[in-house]
Amino acid sequence: MFLRLLWESFVRQRRRKLLAGIAILFGTTAVTAMLALATTIGDRIHKELAVYGANIVVYPKAEQLAVKVGGVDIKPATGNAYLKESDLSKLKTIFWANNINGISPELPLQLKHVFPDGTTPISAVGLWFHHPLGSGAATITTGASELHPSWKLNGSWPTSKEEAVIGSSLSNRLNLRTGDNLPVIAANTQNLHITGTVSTGDENDEKLLLPLATAQFLNNTPDAVSRVEVSARTKPEDSFARTDPDTLSPKQREIWYCRPYANSISYQIREVIPGAAAEQIRKVEQTEGTVLARISGLMWLISIAALLAASFAVSAAMATAILERRGEIGLMRSLGASKASIALLFYAESGLLALFAGVLGYLFGSGLAAWLGAHIFAGSGVPAIAVSTLPATSIFIPVLLPVVVATALIVAIAGSTPSIRSALKMDPSSVLRANA
Amino acid sequence: MSEPSTPGQYHPASKLSLVRILRRSLVHRRARSISALVALTVSAGVATALLTLYADLDNKLHKEFRSFGANIVVTATANAVLPPDTLSKVQQAAGPAALTAPFAYAVATTDTGTSVVVSGTDFAAVRRLNSWWQVSNWPDPSGQPSPALLGQRAANFIGDEHSVKLTFASKSVTLNGTGRLKTGGDEDSRIYMPLEAFTAWTGVTPSVIEVQISGGTAAIDTALAQLKQALPGVQVQPVRQLVEGESRIVDRTHALMYAALLLIALTVGVSVLATLSASVLERRRDFALMKALGGTQIHLMSIFLFEALILALAGVFVGFVIGSAAAFAISEINFHTATLPRLSVMPLVLLLNLAIALLAAFFPARVLRGLQPAALLKGE
Repeated sequence: MFLRLLWESFVRQRRRKLLAGIAILFGTTAVTAMLALATTIGDRIHKELAVYGANIVVYPKAEQLAVKVGGVDIKPATGNAYLKESDLSKLKTIFWANNINGISPELPLQLKHVFPDGTTPISAVGLWFHHPLGSGAATITTGASELHPSWKLNGSWPTSKEEAVIGSSLSNRLNLRTGDNLPVIAANTQNLHITGTVSTGDENDEKLLLPLATAQFLNNTPDAVSRVEVSARTKPEDSFARTDPDTLSPKQREIWYCRPYANSISYQIREVIPGAAAEQIRKVEQTEGTVLARISGLMWLISIAALLAASFAVSAAMATAILERRGEIGLMRSLGASKASIALLFYAESGLLALFAGVLGYLFGSGLAAWLGAHIFAGSGVPAIAVSTLPATSIFIPVLLPVVVATALIVAIAGSTPSIRSALKMDPSSVLRANA
Repeated sequence: MSEPSTPGQYHPASKLSLVRILRRSLVHRRARSISALVALTVSAGVATALLTLYADLDNKLHKEFRSFGANIVVTATANAVLPPDTLSKVQQAAGPAALTAPFAYAVATTDTGTSVVVSGTDFAAVRRLNSWWQVSNWPDPSGQPSPALLGQRAANFIGDEHSVKLTFASKSVTLNGTGRLKTGGDEDSRIYMPLEAFTAWTGVTPSVIEVQISGGTAAIDTALAQLKQALPGVQVQPVRQLVEGESRIVDRTHALMYAALLLIALTVGVSVLATLSASVLERRRDFALMKALGGTQIHLMSIFLFEALILALAGVFVGFVIGSAAAFAISEINFHTATLPRLSVMPLVLLLNLAIALLAAFFPARVLRGLQPAALLKGE
């Protein structure tokens, strides 16, 4: 009987059910989309912020004092300490390895451009270009080209040891263009083929950009790198992040270690790479942290506001939907139905509606969020990264399903309650008379 | 509650004024009126809050990006120095709101024989411009003479931090290191000192002026053009990744907010529509009765419309207050600055709410039009 009543109510009152159902559907769609966007906004904005470059720098601890003005080494130090390039794969073994999304080692060196009748000095730097790092599924393709999306390349990045790209100012000064050959000499000699011109907007415009292996060969320092830039997804710094881990109790230290602060990632880098000092680049890290926190904070607060607003609006819709049916309640009461069974019927109706519309809304909302995200953040960063790090699983966030459906249930039931109660309180005969 | 809808209450002889019908309808169907009012208040509140935040978003975000420091750098061309009056010209061209900081560089030798880059600058300006500099103790302008900030790596090459002896072109100077500087960048390997003392010691004048323009891309472009015009013969360059990244992120956040605005407005709108139209449809019997008593189509429609309009207007006033408060709270929590209520969003909110209310009243009125009063009154 109960099931039949429930079924008939859905079949015969399609218009009423439809309106309340649509209200819940829209509410859950909007809330799902907002929450889904809010949970992924951190990653998306982080990708946008990648233009500001690395947020952690690794250098050899025993390095001499750099004498640099405006990015130009005034007194290139001799007998420098180096890090080992072969150690860099260890970066993908630290606790927060998955948060490291870009690594760019560099080895600066001075070259001489060989003419038939003499030589000119050239500053050069050895870099990675589209370099694979890590093993298995965790492999990332990274390097200077990935870490600096604001660099504008005219041509193509070097793919072999004999190729190089040239900074735009240097290209103008030496009158060298893409396709030219450039014999250079340092500790060793090499004939380089220029595959592109790059405009970086900083001191690298004055440099020749070589593959790291070529720079190591020319400099006669195999496996050497003098500085590594690391781009990592970090948690904005708070006062706990600034504490020195060695002064903490073991338990606190464990917590500190297991949070993706720039400081703890640097600490873990120092642990795995012998002789390395690692530090956050404060200009990037501190500001990115605030910008990230502000934008995702805004999204969360708006999502909460949306949740509240949708809840109020949907409860109002539910309340009216039940009020409308006081006549039915009066009829059931006069036919001998108990208050409890009537309440149960109406709650079951609301619940079923909320469940159905909630699940549908979750599906629509997830799709909508993915669509919005893809459109708003189209072409952010390097396309290859954007595609590979946004798999299909990011469209559906399973955690949101129970959250959204439970919210829909609570809102629908809470919205119906006052109306059901007031309808049950009334004398059935007067209700029926009023409606007769 | 059901009493006023009892036909006997309206005495045929007494004049049925529109105002009276409206008042009675709103007061006596309190539960329904409150439901509709809540829905309309929520729609107005959400629209107000989001529009207010949206209008203020640009300012707020650009302000956050200012903590990245300078967005324009003025440098001397190779092997030249900036003319002496450049700093005042820069400030003049960029406007009084712009922050400017001069930097002069020289390579000196410490008492341990290490070469170190020493930079002369204006500490007060740098402190405001480069908020990411972590300094253990900023020099007090009225404090000891010849203060200096030591980069944390440079400090390792100095014997006594309180008496830093430096030599440049066989002229030596003794600085009083007041604090250590930590940035993670090139600054860590340098020593910073006041510009006047630096120029008096080395004779080197500033070669770089960092400028920070507040505002978006348009403001930066204008300032760039003005600086280039005012300063021929020097390099004026935007900090490219900063300017590009900023406008992209601001644009995207804007788009995101816009999408959120539409989404929420739509959701709330549909709920309000459901609420209002249910309450109108429910009164089919009243409608039929009035029609039977000789009410014209227009007369009856206007009752529904006025009722919806009154609720919508009340919703706008209450919603504007609640929405402004919500925008203020969100802004205060998230950006730590206030967003004041904006009366300029009111017309749009009003328009939105009226549109929803009218739609909600028209939709069921159309359904009712075809109904036969007699059939309805009989209870079919």
